[in-house]
Amino acid sequence: MTIIKSFWDHGIKVGLIGAVTALLLSLIGMVEAFSQRDIIAGIISMGHTLLVVVVIFMGYISAKQTSASRSGWPLVNSMISGLIIAGSLVLLLFLGRWINLRSIFINASPTLYNLLTFDFGIENGWIFLLISGACCGILAGVLHYTYSPVRRVLIVSFSGVTITGVLQDLIRPTLSAWGPLAAVSDRIFLGNGLSISGALALGLMIAFILIFWGKKGDSFKHHYRNLPAGRQKTVRIAAFVFLIAILLTLPQILGLFLSEVLTIVGLYILLGLGLNIVVGYAGLLDLGYVAFFAIGAYVTAILTSPELGFFSFTFWQALPFAIILGLLSGIVLGIPVLKMRGDYLAIATLGFGEIIRILVLSDFLRPWLGGAQGIGKIPKAAIAGYEFATPQQIYYLILAGCALVVFISLRLRDSRLGRAWKAMREDEDVAQAMGINLVYTKLLAFATGAGFSALSGAIFSSKLSSVYPHSFNVMISINILCLIIVGGMGNIPGVIVGAAALVGLPELLREFAEYRLLVYGAALVAMMLLRPEGLWPEALHRRELHDDQSSAADVETSSESHAGV
Amino acid sequence: MIILNADKMTKRFGGLVAIQELDVSIQESSIHSIIGPNGAGKTTFFNCVTGFYRPESGRITFSGHNIGGLTPDRVVKLGIARTYQNIRLFPNLTALENIMVGLHPHLNAGFFGIVMGLPSTRHEEVEAAREAEKLLNFVYLEGKGDLLAKNLPYGDQRRLEIARAMAAHPKLLLLDEPTAGMNPRETQEMMDFIRHLRDQLGITILLIEHQMRVVMGISEIVTVLDYGKKIAEGTPEEIKSNPTVIEAYLGRGSAAEAH
Repeated sequence: MTIIKSFWDHGIKVGLIGAVTALLLSLIGMVEAFSQRDIIAGIISMGHTLLVVVVIFMGYISAKQTSASRSGWPLVNSMISGLIIAGSLVLLLFLGRWINLRSIFINASPTLYNLLTFDFGIENGWIFLLISGACCGILAGVLHYTYSPVRRVLIVSFSGVTITGVLQDLIRPTLSAWGPLAAVSDRIFLGNGLSISGALALGLMIAFILIFWGKKGDSFKHHYRNLPAGRQKTVRIAAFVFLIAILLTLPQILGLFLSEVLTIVGLYILLGLGLNIVVGYAGLLDLGYVAFFAIGAYVTAILTSPELGFFSFTFWQALPFAIILGLLSGIVLGIPVLKMRGDYLAIATLGFGEIIRILVLSDFLRPWLGGAQGIGKIPKAAIAGYEFATPQQIYYLILAGCALVVFISLRLRDSRLGRAWKAMREDEDVAQAMGINLVYTKLLAFATGAGFSALSGAIFSSKLSSVYPHSFNVMISINILCLIIVGGMGNIPGVIVGAAALVGLPELLREFAEYRLLVYGAALVAMMLLRPEGLWPEALHRRELHDDQSSAADVETSSESHAGV
Repeated sequence: MIILNADKMTKRFGGLVAIQELDVSIQESSIHSIIGPNGAGKTTFFNCVTGFYRPESGRITFSGHNIGGLTPDRVVKLGIARTYQNIRLFPNLTALENIMVGLHPHLNAGFFGIVMGLPSTRHEEVEAAREAEKLLNFVYLEGKGDLLAKNLPYGDQRRLEIARAMAAHPKLLLLDEPTAGMNPRETQEMMDFIRHLRDQLGITILLIEHQMRVVMGISEIVTVLDYGKKIAEGTPEEIKSNPTVIEAYLGRGSAAEAH
C-alpha cells in the first residue's frame, strides 16, 4: 500500500507535473526556438538542454521526496518521473503523426518532432526518447544519492558549462578581442556551440575552482578577518579600485553591441534603485513609476530639442530641470495617495502612470509634446567637446548616474530617514507613534524615487535622441518591479543583479525575447517558492527566511556585509 | 503634581459609546493602573491619549498642553510613549534599529545632511547608536542588538518594546498589558522592571493590566472602568474592598485571581 502510494505521490505525480511543463515548453515553440543555438556543437542544443533540465529537476524532486527508508526507491521514483515526462513527449509525437496538431498549436512542427526524436524519425526515435528520459531520471536519482558537496560541484559545473554555451555570443567576441585568449576561444567553441573537449575542460576547471575554494575559501576569509583594521581597509580599497578599473574599461573590452546592452541595463538600474526606495524601503507599492521616467525624458526633450524650438538648452542645462520636475511630480502624485495603502495605492498609482502616457499622446498637447510622433533631434550630452554619442560613450554617462544614485541610496539606507522608511513599511501606525511625520516621510520617498527615475529618463532621451509616448507604457513599471523582486527587495546589489538578469539576459538571448513575459512569470513564481528573499537579499532578510542556519554565523555575515559597505 | 488630566472625555464609535465623560488625573512619578472587564474602554483611552483616536468631546491635557486631537507623532514629541497590547515591534528590523526608530524625534538629520555626510549628521548617528545600545542593555538585551525583532523570545520582545518607547525620552509611559502571556516568573521580572523604571528614571507609568497580582502589587492608584465609565478609583486596598468593583469586575469570575 505504502509502496503504491509512494509510487503515485513521488513518482507519477511529480512526473506528470514535469510532463505538463515539457509539453508546454515544446508546444509554445520554446524548445524549437532554443534549438538554433547549440550548447555542445552538433550534439546537444539549448532546446534539448531545456528539456533535460526539466527532467533532472523533476527527477531530483521525486527522489528527494521519497523516504529513504526503502533503499533504491528514490532511484526508481526518479526514473519513473523521467519516463513519464519522456512518455508524454512520445505521446505528442504519435498524436502529431495521426492528427494535424498545427491547426491548434502552430509550433507542433516537423522540426520539433525531429528535435524530439534526435532526427531518427518517429519509428525509431521514440524508443530513443524514452531511454534518454529514463537515463536523465536515473541521473537525477544518482545525484540525490551523492554526497552533498560533490553534488554541488556537479550541479555548478553543469550549470557553468550550460551558461557558457547560452552566453556564447557574449563570451566569444570578448575573448577573441584579446590576442592570446582568442586561441582559447577557438579551442573551446566550435560552430555554434562548445566543442566536446572544450565543454569537458570547462566543467573540470569549474569543479577544480569550486573544490579549491571550498578548501581554501574559509581560510582566506579567516585570514582576512584576522588582519588589523588598517590592513582590512587597504584590502577593501584595493578591491574597490579594481572594481572601478573594471567598470571603466568594460565598454572597451565588450565592444559595441554589449555596451549597448549595458546602457539599457544601466538605465534600468537607475530606475530600479529609485523604485527600491519607494517600494523596497518605504513599502509603498507604486505601479505608475514609469510616469516619472517619462517626465524626465520629456522635460529634457522639450528643453533641448530644436524640433520644437521653444528652448535650446544643452543636456546639462536641462538635466536639473528634469530632475526637479521629476521630484515635484513625485510630490504631486504623493499628496492624493497619502492615506492609501497596499492594493489601493497600487491601483491609484497605476492610474497616474496611464494619465501621463495618455496626456503625452493626446492631440490637445501635441504642439508642445509632439503627440504620437514624439520629439526628435534631442542633442547628445557633451562635456568640453567630448560627446556622449555611441553606446560606449553613453555607458560612462550612465555609469556616473548609477554611481551617484548608489551613493545616495547607501547614505539614505543607514540614516534616520532610511530607518523611518523601513519603520513605515513595517507598521505605519506605530511608526507615526514613534514621532515619524508620515506626510513628510512618504512624500520624501516618492520624491526621491521620482528624482532617480527622472534622471534615468533624461539620459534615456539623450541616448535615443528622441522620445515617443509608447516607450512609457505600464510594462516598464512592471519590469522594474519584477527586477527588484527577483533581485532582492530593499537591497542595492540585488537591484543591480535583478536588472542584469531580467533586462540584460533577454537582450543577449534573442530567442528569449518572444518568451520574455513567460520567463518573467516563471521566474517570479520560482523566486517566490525557492528564494522569496531574492537573488541577492539584504543579509537580514536572508536570515529571516532561512533561519535554519545557525544565527551566530549569520550575525557574522551581516556585520561583514555592513563592514563591506 | 498632575501630569495627565482627562476632563469629561467622550469617545464614540457610531452608536457605541466606548468612553463616556471620563475624568482621570495621573500624578507625576506614580504608577497608575487602569483595570476593567474586556471592552471597558481601557485601550480606547490609551488610543485617545496617544493621538490614535480623536475624542468627540472633553479635554486631555498633558503638562499643561491640550493634546486632544494631536496626531501621534506630535504627542510622542511632547513626551508620551506607549507599548501595545499585542506587541507591535517592527518585525523585520533589528532590535537596535527598533530602538533607533524610537529615537527619531530627537534626531535632526535632513536629506541633504545625510547625502552629504555632514560631520554633525555622522556625529548624531554615532551618538544615537550609542544611546540605543545603552537602552538595549537597560532592558537586559545585551548582545542581541543585531537580531531581528521577530526572532526574539516573547519576554525579550516585550522589554524591547518598552526600550523603544523609552527612546523617545517620555515623561509618561503607557504600558498596555505588559505581562500578557507571561508565566509567573516572567511576570515577577516585569513587575520589578516597571518599578525599576519609575524609581531610576522617574518616569510616570500608566498601566493597563488584567493580572490582579500585578495590579495590586505595583500600582499606587487604580482606576476602574466599566462600559466606558469610571466606577471607582483609589489605592489597591480600597479597590479590593469596593463593593461596586467587586460586583462589576471581580465578581465576574476574576475573584479567585485576586487572592
